[in-house]
Amino acid sequence: MTTDSSSGVHEHHWETSWSPFAVVIGIFFLVVLTFSAHYVYENTLLTIVCAGIGTPFLLAGIAKWVHEGLTEKPLISGVAGVGLPIFIISEVFIFLALFVTYWVMRLSAPEWPPEGTPHINTALPIIMTIILVSSSWTAHVAEEKAEANDLAGFRTWIWYTIILGTLFFGCTAYEYNHLLSEGFGPSTNAFSTIFYTITGFHASHVLIGLGAFFAVLIPAYKGMTNHTLTTCVSVYWHFVDVVWFFVLSQIYFW
Amino acid sequence: MSTETETFNWKEWVFTTDHKRIGVLYLIGSMAAFAVAGVMALLIRIEQSTLGPTIIEDGTTYNEWLYFHGAAMILAFLIPGLTGFAANYFLPLMIGAKDVAFPRINAFSIWLFYAAIVLALVSIVIPDSPDIMWTGYPPYSITTNANTAFYVFTVHLLGFSSILGAVNFLVTVIYMRAPGMGWNQLNIFVWTTVAAFAIQLVFIPVLAAAVTMLLFDKYLGTHFFDPAEGGDVLLYQNLFWFYSHPAVYVIFLPAVGILFEVVASMAKNRVFNYKACVYGGILGIVIITGEVWVHHLYVAGMPDWLRIGQMVTTLLISVPVGLIVLSLWGTLYKASITYNVAMLYAAACFFLVLVGGLTGIPLALTVVTVHLSETSFVHAHFHFIMALFAAFAMFSGIYYWFPKMTGRSADGKLAVFSFWSNVIGVNVTFWPLFIIGVEGMPRRYWDYEMFPHFEPYHQVATAGAFLIAIGMAGTMINWIIAARSGEKVGENPWKSKSLEWTHCPSPPGPGNFPEDVVVSEDWTPYDYNK
Amino acid sequence: MKFFNTILSGLMGALLPFAAMANEAYEGDMNPADQWDRLWNTILLDITVIGVIFGVAAIWMMVKYRAKSPDDVGSLPKLTRAQTMAWIFIPCALFLADDLFLSAKGWSLWNVYRQVPEDALEIKVTSYQWYWEFDYGDGIVTEELTVPVGKPVVLRMTSEDVLHSFFIPEYRVKEDVMPGRVTYIWFQPKKAGTTVATCTEFCGTAHGNMYTDVIAVPPDDFTAWRVKAKAEAENES
Ligand code: HEA
Ligand code: HEA
Ligand code: CUA
Ligand SMILES: [Cu+2]
Repeated sequence: MTTDSSSGVHEHHWETSWSPFAVVIGIFFLVVLTFSAHYVYENTLLTIVCAGIGTPFLLAGIAKWVHEGLTEKPLISGVAGVGLPIFIISEVFIFLALFVTYWVMRLSAPEWPPEGTPHINTALPIIMTIILVSSSWTAHVAEEKAEANDLAGFRTWIWYTIILGTLFFGCTAYEYNHLLSEGFGPSTNAFSTIFYTITGFHASHVLIGLGAFFAVLIPAYKGMTNHTLTTCVSVYWHFVDVVWFFVLSQIYFW
Repeated sequence: MSTETETFNWKEWVFTTDHKRIGVLYLIGSMAAFAVAGVMALLIRIEQSTLGPTIIEDGTTYNEWLYFHGAAMILAFLIPGLTGFAANYFLPLMIGAKDVAFPRINAFSIWLFYAAIVLALVSIVIPDSPDIMWTGYPPYSITTNANTAFYVFTVHLLGFSSILGAVNFLVTVIYMRAPGMGWNQLNIFVWTTVAAFAIQLVFIPVLAAAVTMLLFDKYLGTHFFDPAEGGDVLLYQNLFWFYSHPAVYVIFLPAVGILFEVVASMAKNRVFNYKACVYGGILGIVIITGEVWVHHLYVAGMPDWLRIGQMVTTLLISVPVGLIVLSLWGTLYKASITYNVAMLYAAACFFLVLVGGLTGIPLALTVVTVHLSETSFVHAHFHFIMALFAAFAMFSGIYYWFPKMTGRSADGKLAVFSFWSNVIGVNVTFWPLFIIGVEGMPRRYWDYEMFPHFEPYHQVATAGAFLIAIGMAGTMINWIIAARSGEKVGENPWKSKSLEWTHCPSPPGPGNFPEDVVVSEDWTPYDYNK
Repeated sequence: MKFFNTILSGLMGALLPFAAMANEAYEGDMNPADQWDRLWNTILLDITVIGVIFGVAAIWMMVKYRAKSPDDVGSLPKLTRAQTMAWIFIPCALFLADDLFLSAKGWSLWNVYRQVPEDALEIKVTSYQWYWEFDYGDGIVTEELTVPVGKPVVLRMTSEDVLHSFFIPEYRVKEDVMPGRVTYIWFQPKKAGTTVATCTEFCGTAHGNMYTDVIAVPPDDFTAWRVKAKAEAENES
């Protein structure tokens, strides 16, 4: 149900939206049940079924949510620009918890890296850093274009960002593949445990960021953008970028 | 504006983004969790009522009950009941807002909460039901055959829900207060909710990280907690309590906030030393709460300096709590108290917080806890402060705001009878646990053949539990009846001065306030006596 | 404000005897478990006094300040600046004083608990799901703990599987037992007799059945037991 918010307080109906509900169903099936079906009950058919139910709900929910975000007038505007940084505080603490874990394990270990760790290439992460920093810059340019109402420019620079982000993600995938082929998997030793967890957690944030860029890009083809939304996406992306510096210094160069 | 004539439309509930309806959904969900977890408590009590097997043949079933009881009571009943239901329904009304800042995110939170409840309920009926206790300590939670994943995901879903709730409410309080409303004019409940959400925002992620590592260790073969491979067994416990101690104040603070609302309204008095309560008490707790988690690890082989250091910080919490207590007590001074059911529960809370809080003091002493840790004494402590004090505060709030939510009063004979059944029941149940706790009765024991002389105490406790069950069932039945056919009372039956009573109808419709709220500089929610 | 001043002076008065007690040193040769009992009594008194003061104040006000008529309002006066400050700093100082008093008491006994006497008899403890093993170091390995009366005993404990916790209620000691780490407790049996040691960290299905006897015997009997146990152990191997 769409609302004409301008009619003020005397409207007599309850606000509704099915998008949050659909996203929850999507997450429940795609993350919770799919993981459990695969890893706990080791049932491939069930895994496919759960993922199959979850994905459309998730995508439809997000699409609808973004659409509503772009078309409806919020109760109070612009506060998402404050809400997101507050949310990022909690993201900071989750990364902090992971890094603390790393420090505890590393500082109490008799030798580091522990036995079974292959040589980890540091050239690739440098390249990845360059890619990610440039993508932060392109995201910023896109934001400026949007502010200047240059929709075509906005789309182009979002595309640049997405390409760079995908490239970064590809590097992670390449690196994982390489390390796995050398027999260095998550269960190899204490270092592999923390290595895959932290880099993987960062990579999942890259994925979410990419998803968010698509979520603002697609409506932009229909001429719809929203200043707050684009700012949020780009602030999030900068955050992912900043976290990477810590991953780089702590995991690769220490 | 009355919703009386509206027909029931399920879509307007399932897809609602209205904070009041979301609040009601939280209430229903958390009460459902309470009822199921309460039934588990009864089974636990029945099993312990005789030496040797009573209704089950081995410990695993008992452990599954206890897992669900602990996890559901804390994570699915009290935290969502207080920061979900009470905050959602009343906080926007108290600050004169039409809704929260992000109504859709609010709707997202409620369904994440329900997803968690569904998962928790499903985990009772699956064959490999979790038996790892609400604390989920490794290595057991990793080596067990049971389904640890559902525990982890339940925590994830609830945690995500709460974090988003925190974002929502912090922004709401910062930006959506009625024009003219300064920080020193907020209801105490608003302050306690802000504090609770600030705690959630910072500490939940740490718990989320901890349980994620558990998941990876069990299902992906990593070695976070395996000392043989360079992991650390105690790491999980530290991360877990780094959140789960602050979590007790996520429960305690809003519960206290509700009490202030009830007591100030029913005593028709201003809050004693408001600023000391807010800036000393509430914020004091927020600041200290992150430095005391080791008091749950007093016997876990932590370094001595941590055990002693955090003994001192733990004891220091009695200072901010003491300030809050003084304000609460002071609000009764020279008051003019009318007793309704809400005020009865509130009155009981004055004593429950003393018993529960003061028994935290011996537990705070490292050396004393060397004996008391993991015994029934700890049970009795936390049931008094959490299960009884905080839950009674919530019930007090429900009775107090019942006319706001339904236009009807829930007071009556059944309510008063249930109240006394509850109050007597909880004392009969939990005092014996103090006694056998000091004598050495351990926790999480389905059987206690090594301590046969404790049997009579367990039997008294079980009898008490059934008194509580009668009281709770009576309470819930009473609410259901009252919501349909309770006596209609006006918009402000308690003659409160708080905005949710003075400026909006009962129940409030969409948009809450018929007219935009503006408050004057000398307005406060408690100005009964200028 | 008169009533509150009464509470305050009551609290202050209540603290005085505690302060006096803090000076009273523990007897050095007292058994740690007895010292524990003494500290326990002190704390119990402390929290009871605080509880009674606040409890009585609550009852008194709840009864005294009932509304005379439905339209009555309360008349708690606004605090002046000085009163506000007094109502913050005086109670805080009192609470703090009590906290520090308890911390000091707790710390000094804690030191007793952590400093193992040099002449202590050392026994290695290993826990399994769901039993204990006691290793006396000279080939004797038992599933019950036998100790001499009057001599300090230190247990060095580790686990072979999950977490457990070794608790002897009678001796007021407990510590978790973990894989990959060694923890310790020490105690001093006072009189001969059998008491129970039980597991207090959740360890699975039979957690509630994981207990054993702790048998304290006079020193001579202990020596005799040890000789016999050693002979038996050698016979078996
Ligand atoms: C709402 C929940 C809640 C609250 C508010 C508290 C409050 C406190 N708790 Fe409690 N606690 C729990 C819930 C809670 N607890 C739970 C669930 C567990 C067990 C978890 C598990 O293992 O499963 C637990 C366990 C627990 C332990 C660990 C025991 C063990 O497992 O070995 C300890 C140890 O220090 C402790 C201490 C305290 C203290 C000092 C307070 C203080 O905040 C109390 C402060 C209040 C007062 C002191 C009373 C009022 C104040 C005055 C009248 C002023 C004057 C007073 C003085 C100067 C002393 N608690
Ligand atoms: C908010 C928290 C909370 C609440 C409210 C309760 C409530 C109760 N608890 Fe709970 N308890 C915990 C939190 C809580 N508990 C925690 C955290 C643990 C530790 C777990 C662990 O060790 O890991 C624990 C452990 C625990 C134990 C320890 C078991 C053991 O260690 O071996 C016991 C034993 O007596 C117990 C008993 C009870 C009882 C009798 C109640 C009673 O008050 C319950 C009364 C409620 C009911 C009986 C339900 C009534 C409702 C109905 C009958 C439905 C009616 C419905 C309609 C009409 C629609 N609890
Ligand atoms: Cu071993 Cu519990
Ligand atoms: Cu705690």
